[in-house]
Amino acid sequence: MAAPRGTAIRRTPLERIEYAIIVTTLLAMVVVMLQPILNLVAVSFSDPSRVAGKSGLDIWPSGFSLDVWMLLLQHPNVQRGILNSIFITATATFIGVVGTALMAWGLSRPNLPGRRIIFLLVLVTIVFEPGIIPDYFLMKRMGLLDSYWSVILYKAVNAWYLIILVRFFEEIPEELLEAAELDGANAFQIFFQVVLPLAKPALATIALFYLVFHWNEFFRAMIYLNDQTKYPLQVVLRQFVVEGDKLAIVGADNAANNIGVAQINLKALKAGMIIITILPILAIYPLILKFFTKGTMSGALKG
Amino acid sequence: MSSVEQNATVIARVAGNVPKSQRFANGVRRWWPYYVMLAPGLLFFLVWHYFPIWEAKMAFEQVRIIPPNLWVGLKHFQTLFASPVFYQVLANTLIISTLKILFVFPVPIIVALLLNEVRSGKLRKFVQSAIYLPHFLSWVVIAGVFIAILSPSDGAVNQITGFFGMKPVAFMTDGNSSRWVLVFSEIWRSAGWDSLLYLAAIIGIDQSLYEAAELDGANRWQKVWHVTIPGIVPTIATLFILNMGMFLSADLNQVINFLNDVNRGQIDILDTYVYRIGLRTGEYSLATAAGLFKAVFGMILILSAHFVSKRLTGKGVW
Repeated sequence: MAAPRGTAIRRTPLERIEYAIIVTTLLAMVVVMLQPILNLVAVSFSDPSRVAGKSGLDIWPSGFSLDVWMLLLQHPNVQRGILNSIFITATATFIGVVGTALMAWGLSRPNLPGRRIIFLLVLVTIVFEPGIIPDYFLMKRMGLLDSYWSVILYKAVNAWYLIILVRFFEEIPEELLEAAELDGANAFQIFFQVVLPLAKPALATIALFYLVFHWNEFFRAMIYLNDQTKYPLQVVLRQFVVEGDKLAIVGADNAANNIGVAQINLKALKAGMIIITILPILAIYPLILKFFTKGTMSGALKG
Repeated sequence: MSSVEQNATVIARVAGNVPKSQRFANGVRRWWPYYVMLAPGLLFFLVWHYFPIWEAKMAFEQVRIIPPNLWVGLKHFQTLFASPVFYQVLANTLIISTLKILFVFPVPIIVALLLNEVRSGKLRKFVQSAIYLPHFLSWVVIAGVFIAILSPSDGAVNQITGFFGMKPVAFMTDGNSSRWVLVFSEIWRSAGWDSLLYLAAIIGIDQSLYEAAELDGANRWQKVWHVTIPGIVPTIATLFILNMGMFLSADLNQVINFLNDVNRGQIDILDTYVYRIGLRTGEYSLATAAGLFKAVFGMILILSAHFVSKRLTGKGVW
């Protein structure tokens, strides 16, 4: 970021107080955003027998135990959820990036015949969405209900991401393309050997957009998938934490006989589930900060 | 101009002298690789966005187990508009959207103005990195977080209000607070990240304006009021209008994770209603009709938003 703005030198005590208030407000905001997550981390690592009644303000584990984590990570529903989420996210991101990049490249050529019509077709989809029921029946008609592909292929190319990439491709200097063409490169070679290497940061940004989107997606998986063994992690989490269906993790047998997972405090299990679900996001968060911030900033600046 | 386009221009210029079929052949020869690359994406759009429009004709049909369905015209719309539940969910949608415009929309603007006053680059980066995080969490996760912090027994909020002697409230299952839970969870999720858009606009403001203001003896607030805010008004206007375009949505992904049988009267919105009657109780046609109602008015809103925005700020929705 450029040099700080409003760089008046602090002159008066009043201004110092003002500045202190500003900084305090922002730090308070940091606490509000992070404390709840830290609390859940703390609960998940606490001794499960000491979790009941543990204050939501605590950010330090009461005792220390890996019981919750061991149980959850060995739990078949959680393991399946993780694998399903990884498979869906990876496949959908790959398809999304490839489809978006190829289409954006075509659309970014100003003289392409039919460019305006195709653009219009895309814009209409932003403006008019017939809703979830027609989507569902289309899925049914195509025989994709209860298949991973329903979630993976559903709106695989995002109109907004497409527009971002088109804008990026439009700014590639024409001289470069011209030079490549003089060297005898055909349209495909130009795309793969000249355009794509230049577009690496933009493609990384789009890939991260898709990645975060698909990892966090739950609604389509919830309505298109019936078979619980195909549920991605978000849907397992939703069942257990949001819908309060404790059997989703505890299991009917365990609950009935009060054995195994059933003996672990539910609050600790829920906290652990939430943290497991956001772990991948936390892992790539530095990348997200780098690319999302830049992508959004440049988009906003160009307008 | 690349030779590709030069060529295309040449083709266009001499078009008058070249037979039509020849022109077409030249066009195909020049552009086919681009159409090949466009095709998969275009196919996705046609399948996932245009076929459903065809499926939506269900709103005008009686669905029968053995096809074909029976055309019944506007019958389902009449049922819909005669249903009190429809007006209830419509009212809820409008109320929630209004609350969000009033109480969520201004927050990132204030955050951006505050961030802009921070002189230490390290501190600002730290604050930004922290407050952007919730934007990248799913609504399922955020609902889980809110269930925890709003818990009446040991949640952070009731711990704090309890410290001041207030009785614990079960916010998640209290109809009176459920709309506010939506407002606050939305602030928690988006206040940080959305401030980035305003921050980008602030950075684009001409520095000489600040220098001029300083020469005139302006203090911090005067500079904010007379330089920064006017500088970001176009961004505010664009985002405000964009928000208005989404007025009938009120965010399905959020609401569906906060909705329960107790607060249904307050936060059941159009989309959750469509989901429930369509996919839970199987009233496909009625649900599709409600969905179409939302789609058509939503389209009018977004298009108006786009053209108003274009008129006022030169920037449209896309």
